[in-house]
Amino acid sequence: MKLNLKAVCLAVVLGAAAVASMGQNITVTDIVGRKVTLKSPAKKVILGEGRAIITLSLLHPDPVSLVAGWTGDFKKSGGLLFDEYQKRFPAMAKIPVIGASGKETVSTERIISLQPELAIFGAGSHGPDARSADVIRQLEAAGIPIIFVDFRLHPFKNTIPSMELLGKVLGREKQANDYIAFYKSHYDKIEQRLKGKNLPRPKVYMEMIRGENLVGSPGKGNLGEFIDFVGAHNIGADILPGEVGTLNMEYVIRQQPDIYIATGIATPGTPGFEIGYGITEAQAQQSLKKQVSRPVALPLKAVQQKKVYGFWHLFYDSPLNIAAVDALARWAHPELFKDIDPDETLKIINEKFLAVPFKGTYFMELK
Amino acid sequence: METDLINLQYKRRFRRRLLLLLLLGVSVVVVFCVDIAVGPSLMELGEVFKTIFAPAAADLATRVIIWEVRLPYSVMALLVGAALSLAGLEMQTTLNNPMASPFTLGVSAAAALGAALAIVLSASIPGLDPKWAVAVNAFIFAFGSVMLLQFLSRLGGSGVEALVLLGIAMDFTFKALVGILQYVASAEALQQFVFWSLGSLTRSNWESITVLGSIIAVVMPFSIAASWQMTALRLGEDSARSYGINVRRLRFFSLVRVSLLTATAVAFVGTIGFVGLVGPHIAKLLIGEDHRFSLPAAVLSGALVMSLASIASKAISPGAILPVGVITSLIGVPIFVWLIYSRKKK
Repeated sequence: MKLNLKAVCLAVVLGAAAVASMGQNITVTDIVGRKVTLKSPAKKVILGEGRAIITLSLLHPDPVSLVAGWTGDFKKSGGLLFDEYQKRFPAMAKIPVIGASGKETVSTERIISLQPELAIFGAGSHGPDARSADVIRQLEAAGIPIIFVDFRLHPFKNTIPSMELLGKVLGREKQANDYIAFYKSHYDKIEQRLKGKNLPRPKVYMEMIRGENLVGSPGKGNLGEFIDFVGAHNIGADILPGEVGTLNMEYVIRQQPDIYIATGIATPGTPGFEIGYGITEAQAQQSLKKQVSRPVALPLKAVQQKKVYGFWHLFYDSPLNIAAVDALARWAHPELFKDIDPDETLKIINEKFLAVPFKGTYFMELK
Repeated sequence: METDLINLQYKRRFRRRLLLLLLLGVSVVVVFCVDIAVGPSLMELGEVFKTIFAPAAADLATRVIIWEVRLPYSVMALLVGAALSLAGLEMQTTLNNPMASPFTLGVSAAAALGAALAIVLSASIPGLDPKWAVAVNAFIFAFGSVMLLQFLSRLGGSGVEALVLLGIAMDFTFKALVGILQYVASAEALQQFVFWSLGSLTRSNWESITVLGSIIAVVMPFSIAASWQMTALRLGEDSARSYGINVRRLRFFSLVRVSLLTATAVAFVGTIGFVGLVGPHIAKLLIGEDHRFSLPAAVLSGALVMSLASIASKAISPGAILPVGVITSLIGVPIFVWLIYSRKKK
């Protein structure tokens, strides 16, 4: 009897504790449809792609303090922006590295040993993603919750839900909602203005430049979706079955696109299209000019009529994609969107949201 | 009487081989013309040739399409096919191994390592225009690897076996090093490297065509000059020695030619496999082992296979370009299999 009483008491206490903690529990459904429960907002997270630090810096003034481990890709792809982060947050140098850029380089054992409260992966990413079954199974077995976000596979469908998710699991809902409201206002403006207008869709030829060569043009999906959304026509989408492919320049010349757009990430002194953090307008101008001075670009009407534009490539995989969308809208329909200025959009993001403002040239029009 | 018969047979065989060479040559010309005529804009044949012979009269778009898009692509296909197939033939004879190709001794892996160094670490010769970094690195590593191999095989005793084994060891070493570089590469550099290694003719321009064309023009006469000795080597190392041939010297210079041809081709278009293996076999199946004939035949059959691959890479999905390195095997295998079976029937 005595024993029973003790057991009952214990049960009551435990039950109460469980109820109390359940009140704190956060349950979300992530982008790929998995239900994930956290006991409390995560303060120590793993980033499946290091560059997601930029996303965190929309939500937290010290994004580095949240990161318990990450892949090494931000150091390699971030260029001068990485240096700036490093200067502001010296602790960043001490973030444990869980792998290099590719998903096969990630060590699950390392992740588990870091005892994070949460792992944030992209649904489709250079790091571990929704197809990395082994990593998912091992982390779940170790009791480490994973959420999948997505800014890459379907940027327009998934950016807002992804930000909502991040707001919830990191306990930064206010910041997330503020950004979502800002994002939506820009997004809706473009969508509503185009609605019912039935404007002719200007043809866009876009190429992604890496080093001396271009790695291809967008087909269906990702950057192709951006072009589609702003009421333009991506000529790559008519031909290429996948996300990225190589177009025959002969086809491009015969299509006579109205607009030429390049994306780049080169830093000064390296071959390619120089644009991004710390790059001056003059440097970007000169480097874009070189791209369209190639003999194969000369017959393009877009080049002859100076409808040549460029932007920083990494907008494609980030909630900052809205700034690139504004740029594309402005370039595709300058009359309709003459009040839209991507540099202004980025300025607002810098001032109101980003922990580390983007300095440099991100959008440009060839003069 | 008997010598007359032998003479007659020899003459007949000689004539038959010349005829086959001529036929191969004509096929190359025809396929090349088709290659130039094929493009997504469905230009008329007359316009194509008018633009080739009188570029100034054509409008800018047509001129650029012919002179900057179609011709560099098609001419490069011919040159790369010729270079790799010639290199493959020499390699097969030198190593006395029908499975050998220009890539057997790690030349392509070495080129890939050089390219990866330029792409991933931006490491190249100081002062070099960065636009040439990838090509120059690929060349230096490919050529250097064969020189290193020669040196090592000299140290480690003679014989073709040691050479092949060392070559294979180097191949694996280079591949491992490329793997490590891929591990430390950024996602963007990795993408660029994968794109490079798939092999593509879209990178061709008149500068690279001039360089590869000159290398072939310089190397070929030496190959032809050595063809007698190479034919003797086909009979076996000992009989070659009995003819008074310095086999080691012959092998050394043959490998120098192979590495020059392969390194230059790979530097400009990336690794395009299979043509270096199948080109020489097509030549030998058609024309026999005599290098005086199999050598020009290999050059022509390699050019033919690559020209066909070039057509396919443009035509399978008009408007897009499929990586030609992927297509080459798909085109080369059926020709190869057909030749094997048609020979068996005889």
